[in-house]
Amino acid sequence: MRRFVITVVAALAVVVAVSGAVLAGTGGGSSVTRARLERSLPTEFARLYADQAGLLGHRGVTPASLQARAMCDKGGAVEPDVGPGSNWICLVSWTDPNVPMPPEGYGKFEVDVHSNGCFTAGGPSKLVGFQTITDRRGREVTNPVYEFDGCFDPNGDNTPTGNEFPSVLNVTTTALLPDAERKVSLQLSCGTGSAGCQGTVSAAAGDTPLGTVPFDVSEELTTSLHFPTPVPQRAQSVTFTVTTTVGVGPTSPVTLPVPPARP
Amino acid sequence: MTTGTLPAEAGTTVPAVAARRPGLLAALRFETLKLRAQLRAKCLLIGAILVPIAVVVVVHSQPRPPKDTLFGRFATENGFAMALLVLGFATQWVLPLLTAIVAGDMFASEDQHGTWKTVLTRSTSRSTMFWAKTAVAIAFALVALTLLAASTIASSWLIVGHQPLTGLSGQTIAARSALELVSASWAVMALPIVGFTCLALLFSVWSRSAAVGIAAPVVLGLVMQLVGALGGIETLRPFLLSTPFEAWHGLLAAPRFTGPLLDAVVTSAGWSVVCLTAAFLILRRRDITGG
Repeated sequence: MRRFVITVVAALAVVVAVSGAVLAGTGGGSSVTRARLERSLPTEFARLYADQAGLLGHRGVTPASLQARAMCDKGGAVEPDVGPGSNWICLVSWTDPNVPMPPEGYGKFEVDVHSNGCFTAGGPSKLVGFQTITDRRGREVTNPVYEFDGCFDPNGDNTPTGNEFPSVLNVTTTALLPDAERKVSLQLSCGTGSAGCQGTVSAAAGDTPLGTVPFDVSEELTTSLHFPTPVPQRAQSVTFTVTTTVGVGPTSPVTLPVPPARP
Repeated sequence: MTTGTLPAEAGTTVPAVAARRPGLLAALRFETLKLRAQLRAKCLLIGAILVPIAVVVVVHSQPRPPKDTLFGRFATENGFAMALLVLGFATQWVLPLLTAIVAGDMFASEDQHGTWKTVLTRSTSRSTMFWAKTAVAIAFALVALTLLAASTIASSWLIVGHQPLTGLSGQTIAARSALELVSASWAVMALPIVGFTCLALLFSVWSRSAAVGIAAPVVLGLVMQLVGALGGIETLRPFLLSTPFEAWHGLLAAPRFTGPLLDAVVTSAGWSVVCLTAAFLILRRRDITGG
């Protein structure tokens, strides 16, 4: 029994030592990289999207005509874009005359990448449709691009693609809550993108300007902007105008209601 | 396995063979005979044929496809995807278990029955016994894999169908080419299954216990899968015997990639050589007279 334990412990020690040496020698690098994902995901998406166009009866859509490109990011600005995980986001742009793209020019895919180089990608349903689609003969069929699996070569081309897309800036506040001095604040969220979001927000309650506040948010983060001027007692709503220098903001001003002043 | 022809060959070439390698053919024939008499081995082979049929029927009748495994989302409507889904599932623990049940018992059964002294008093050496047992265990693993693969592919083809397959790069693969790729994917599993056979033989020799010989390779296989799936330590992956089980992915991508296949050959061969060498040395140095 004692010999058995000694053998097992010795074997474990050898395994740990060899593993440690390998990890130390290679730096623990992963074959799951941004460049490999940015090459394989749009290629697969384009083929499947052309299949979907065939099901829907859309003409003139081929994998080449879509010119699909992707920018992938893992875990926002704080995490390096390497390694397996379910927090990969890929922004994919493509050209289909049948489906117009949003102002930012891309759709957001959530990608779960495994250490073996295989991944599961979920497409943006506003652009690619839901799980089942009605084909041109009226049958309910599975949508090939709603969710799909793929694998890339773990030894494939790893030079950066240079694809970059701007972040989308959204106003996440749905109702204003003025503080004791009737000052308001606004929540902004900056989506996945290459450089985060920068710009200014001007607020006005009717004809009364409440000030202009600059913002600088990293991708996949939120921020809160505080406006210095109190909202007038009689004001019923505040209009915010977002101007972005980096990133894509709302195209029209956002108007939010203000609760009436407490007596 | 050409056990039926072995006696004839041995008979006709007795002088030449006997002069150079006394007893290897006889030992091989004897080990094959012992394996063929085992109820466990017969049950395994019958199971390798029948279980995939049941699995295919059950998965095919599911209202929702099992999407969490590769090719699962097409498995209920495409026979090739079904065969690959079963392959993906089999690599988790079924293939290591399939071979370990026989290989893990190969040497340990002699300890269990106390027959080492008896068999070694025949005109056969330890090394002859060792190579005969190893050859029979590997041959059994390959036969079991072949039966499992053939049964899975045939039942998937017949029960689910043979529509064109959507590959791992979104490409459409015609039925004929898909059949070749699916068969090749199953064939690639021969590499790690030989590796696991050698691992089971090592545990069988070292532990002298059939339970350890059967369970240890399966548990180690699961541990290696877990380690291989973790992030941050992926440079260990090429050294794990579970990685060759995923080498077939490249066959179904477009463009096809074969790097993992070459890695699988090196990894499986490395594990096999190391395990067999260790097992051989342990057996050579063992004190048989005491046991």
